[in-house]
Amino acid sequence: MIFLRQLLFPLIAVIAAFIVGGILILIIGDNPIEAYRLLLGSALSWPDGIGYTLFYATPLIFTGLAVLVAFRCGLLNIGAEGQLYVAAFATAWVGISFANMTAWILLPLCFLAAILAGGVWGAIPGILKARFGSHEVINTIMLNFVAVALCSYFTQYHYKNPGPIMETTAIGGGAHIARLGRFVPGLPERIPVNVAFLLALLCCLLVYLFLWRTKWGYELRATGTNPTAAAYGGISIRKQIIIAMTISGSLAGMVGINEVLGYRYRYYDGFSDNYGFTGIAVALLGRNHPVGVVVAALLFAVLQRGGIHVDGFSEYVTKDIVQVLQGTIILFVAAEAFFSGSFNRFGLLKRAKV
Amino acid sequence: MKFAFWSTLLMLCLVAALGASCNRASYGAHDKSKIRVGIVFDIGGKDDRSFNASAWAGVSCAETGKWPDGTDCGKPALNIVARDIEPGNPTSIEPAMRAFAERGYDLIIGVGFAQTPIMELVAKDYPNIRFAIVDGDSALPNVALLKFKEHEGSYLVGMLAAKANKTGTIGFLGGMDIGLIHRFGTGYEEGARAVKPDIRVIKNYVGVTDAAWNNPGKGKELALAQISKGADVIFTAAGNSGLGAFDAVEQAGKVDGRATHLVIGVDANQNMVKPGFVLTSMLKRVDNSVYSIIEDVVNGRFQAGLHVYGLDKDGVAYAMDEHNKPLITPEMLQQVEEARKKIMSGEIKVTDAMDKK
Repeated sequence: MIFLRQLLFPLIAVIAAFIVGGILILIIGDNPIEAYRLLLGSALSWPDGIGYTLFYATPLIFTGLAVLVAFRCGLLNIGAEGQLYVAAFATAWVGISFANMTAWILLPLCFLAAILAGGVWGAIPGILKARFGSHEVINTIMLNFVAVALCSYFTQYHYKNPGPIMETTAIGGGAHIARLGRFVPGLPERIPVNVAFLLALLCCLLVYLFLWRTKWGYELRATGTNPTAAAYGGISIRKQIIIAMTISGSLAGMVGINEVLGYRYRYYDGFSDNYGFTGIAVALLGRNHPVGVVVAALLFAVLQRGGIHVDGFSEYVTKDIVQVLQGTIILFVAAEAFFSGSFNRFGLLKRAKV
Repeated sequence: MKFAFWSTLLMLCLVAALGASCNRASYGAHDKSKIRVGIVFDIGGKDDRSFNASAWAGVSCAETGKWPDGTDCGKPALNIVARDIEPGNPTSIEPAMRAFAERGYDLIIGVGFAQTPIMELVAKDYPNIRFAIVDGDSALPNVALLKFKEHEGSYLVGMLAAKANKTGTIGFLGGMDIGLIHRFGTGYEEGARAVKPDIRVIKNYVGVTDAAWNNPGKGKELALAQISKGADVIFTAAGNSGLGAFDAVEQAGKVDGRATHLVIGVDANQNMVKPGFVLTSMLKRVDNSVYSIIEDVVNGRFQAGLHVYGLDKDGVAYAMDEHNKPLITPEMLQQVEEARKKIMSGEIKVTDAMDKK
């Protein structure tokens, strides 16, 4: 019952958003049914649609988990964007610098680079908060700009691939990770969904086990729920803040594995389509639970994939409809407290009360 | 109760609206008997009143025989289905191109050199689909390269700039600091020097990344800086960022009903953007090149490799219309026309900044 209740609001939010989007499509003079058929059809077709949807979902699962972990400790990590940029660049840097190593050494090094770089970039605002009490929202946002600018700088002036495109030279062949097309029959290898997707699912499981099945996870959640009580119980709040932000940053950093080791095999400046910020929405819609994050990430990936096709093949609808849908979903999820009153009046939630 | 009322009302509206909309014809994009053309714009989007707008005009002309504003384009419609995608950010360009490729489009056009590596990836995966890229370089057997002699057109507007100039200084505002844009700058400078050998040309670039095409704020700042250094004519080759220079010259104002500072537009005819402030526009007739490559596909004459459009093929030109007529004297016009003929005949050689030295 609790599970169903958890599901109710996100579901209503999604349906409501699609209705609002549909009305908007009508107003601009197009056919909502056709547009939505195009949106879902292109995202769920085999193999291109599903392959790309899973590929787009991968970074969103990572960033969603990153936001989730910080949130469970009572922190808002707006800095996943910066963390994933730094991590992706670090991954590429290792891949370029040690290009000649064998895969058995290079690959773990690259993974480590992504996780460590993201973790360090996430730990900075954590330490600042724990040590000086400066607010993590401000610091993570500011560090986003620093991260993007730093990566751009190093790409432009030190590791640039000659030509007009802002990208680094290619990483060593040993650092490539396999695309799922190699194992899944019928899925062509040109579709970039790769092992990082499985890693993302594994991370969901690990995050769940960590938060709900270990002592450390309990301490972290206790800090998030009631810091005063947690401190009274002998938990070091400062330590928890730093731990949460480090884990959060590492999770965001794993986007670099998907992007650099599984897709472009180099660092491409400006590669992130706001994954870090969409991650906040994913975590919110997924109710800050790993399973919810996967589902929400898949939904947002469907929108991302379908948006392009709606833009191309509908009469008037552009891919901005996706932003409308995403925004409306978040609005409805955030409005839960406001709406729950009305639902209670209908008795919808009465039995669900615990 | 309020909630129930509103939700019922919403549902009713929706049902009514859906009923009405179901009668619409379904999307024509799937008509496989026609040649299907997909175009993927650059970050600037199709209404940048510049480069992308010009490409869009060519597609529109090929599809309907009309410019996007509904006036006749002077060429026959080619019986094609055309679809366009505005990616809006660099990460969406590849999915956009693949969206067309997955549906087996006959020709996919990419606008702007930044799409080259992406197009190469997609073109390798779909060897049977024909691709065309504006300004790009590629050796693939199914990619046509649409290129322009921008230096020739820039030379002519450089002459006009020097003629209109009073302060002895003119400006050049480039988008991204790359060879292609240097080609505009060098041609412009040579044209200006041909009229006034000692003229000073200030050159600035908006940036070094893709974002440089879409930053009108910085464009305006740079233009104002050039004006403060004495430039009274500014040639922009900066996509959407160039529109900032238009604001800058407007801000500089008018004396006795005439603008004190002028701007030269680029790619599409931008004379009407700020009438009275725009000396002319260096037209890069992307529309002509796009139209002719579509025509080639329709007639089964598509050829990969280089297609160069210069003054001779109406690939580059300067814009004359009622908006800039008061700014250009018949004497100026005559001199520029002479230079144009000389360039076409090879008597004047304009330096191409992208030539290997």
